Amino acid sequence: MELIESLGLNYKILIAQLINFAVLVFILYKFGYKPILRFLDDRRKKIEEGVINAEKAQAKLEELSEKEKKIIKDAKKEALAIVENAKNQAEEKRKELIAKAKQDISVIINEEKTKIKQEKAELVNEVKKDVSKLIVIALEKIIDKKVDKSEDKKIIEEIVTNLKK
Amino acid sequence: MKLNISLAPETIFEIAGFPITNTLLWTFVISLFLIIFTLILNKRKKLIPGKIQSVFELLIEKGYDFVKSIIGTEEKARKIFPLVMTMFIFTLVANLVIYIPGQAAVNLHKSEGIVPVFRAVMSDYGMVFVMTMITIITMHVVAIIVHGPFGYLKKFINFSSPLNFILGLMDIISEIAKIISLSFRLFGNIFASEVLGAVMLFLAPFFIPLPFIFLGILTAVVQAFVFSVLTLVFISLAAEIDRDEVVEQHSI
Repeated sequence: MELIESLGLNYKILIAQLINFAVLVFILYKFGYKPILRFLDDRRKKIEEGVINAEKAQAKLEELSEKEKKIIKDAKKEALAIVENAKNQAEEKRKELIAKAKQDISVIINEEKTKIKQEKAELVNEVKKDVSKLIVIALEKIIDKKVDKSEDKKIIEEIVTNLKK
Repeated sequence: MKLNISLAPETIFEIAGFPITNTLLWTFVISLFLIIFTLILNKRKKLIPGKIQSVFELLIEKGYDFVKSIIGTEEKARKIFPLVMTMFIFTLVANLVIYIPGQAAVNLHKSEGIVPVFRAVMSDYGMVFVMTMITIITMHVVAIIVHGPFGYLKKFINFSSPLNFILGLMDIISEIAKIISLSFRLFGNIFASEVLGAVMLFLAPFFIPLPFIFLGILTAVVQAFVFSVLTLVFISLAAEIDRDEVVEQHSI
């Protein structure tokens, strides 16, 4: 037992060291490893969740942008169709209007023509009336000079021939 | 000046007949330091870690991964990790603490001579022996749990053939050798590096001890690692089921 003596082994100290080490293991486990390992697990889970969420968000974003593109495309198509439609309609309307205008114009022209004709006829009539009045006045003036029948006849003839000219 | 080297730790004082040796004192001090440090770390932990927390998280995470890679499963690793990690941290801190300079100068003058107050904890065979016994007992308990009491005994005492009987005896010897090799590896290395350091300081106090101190620090780290890894390996070997045993169990 000289070896034990020289190594300084003492059962009291051994027990003290054992208890000390046991306490150390327990406390380090309880307050060191366990919370830290759990913490690491939690964090790993959180990070995993975060990564998954980010992926999901990315996918959703892509989906949304795809949708957006589709919507824009559709809208463009629709807008083009509407514009085309409007153009066509406008063209039709224009043609219609032009046709109507032409018709109207021709109607108006015809009306005017008839009016002008009428007016012309009226004018001629009036002129004729005026001329005959003038003739009568002229005749009366001539008649005032007391001409005989022969002279009278001669004058009338003269006037008529003049008129005919 | 006389160089005083003692294999046994020196008693500094006694409390009611209980001898407090210098190594036991430092065992307590280092344990207390580790416990307080752990409690502070635990109290201050945040989900987004600071620098100190990151370092210790890294240490524990890598340690855990290492333990898992050797022992195999998550379940076994959870059980054995606290023991192995504590052995590593405690041994490492205990080995490195003596390299804080100025310690060799602090001595007590007692009736039986000069007693150094500071001494490496692992240069006390008692502490190493306690840790070794923890390893060995855990190992055997695990083996009994895994193999069953008869399967465990059959490994050592086996009369099925002369060869198996001799192999059983060899196993008993190797178990005893394990205790000695495991404990004296750590004790011897740390004690030797302490003695070497003291001798070099005694012979040439300036510059020449430096390489030996570096060597000592290397030894301190390596031995802490070796001791805890050997513990881990012994226990994981004991927890493994041999191929022929599996066959046997299936045939039954």
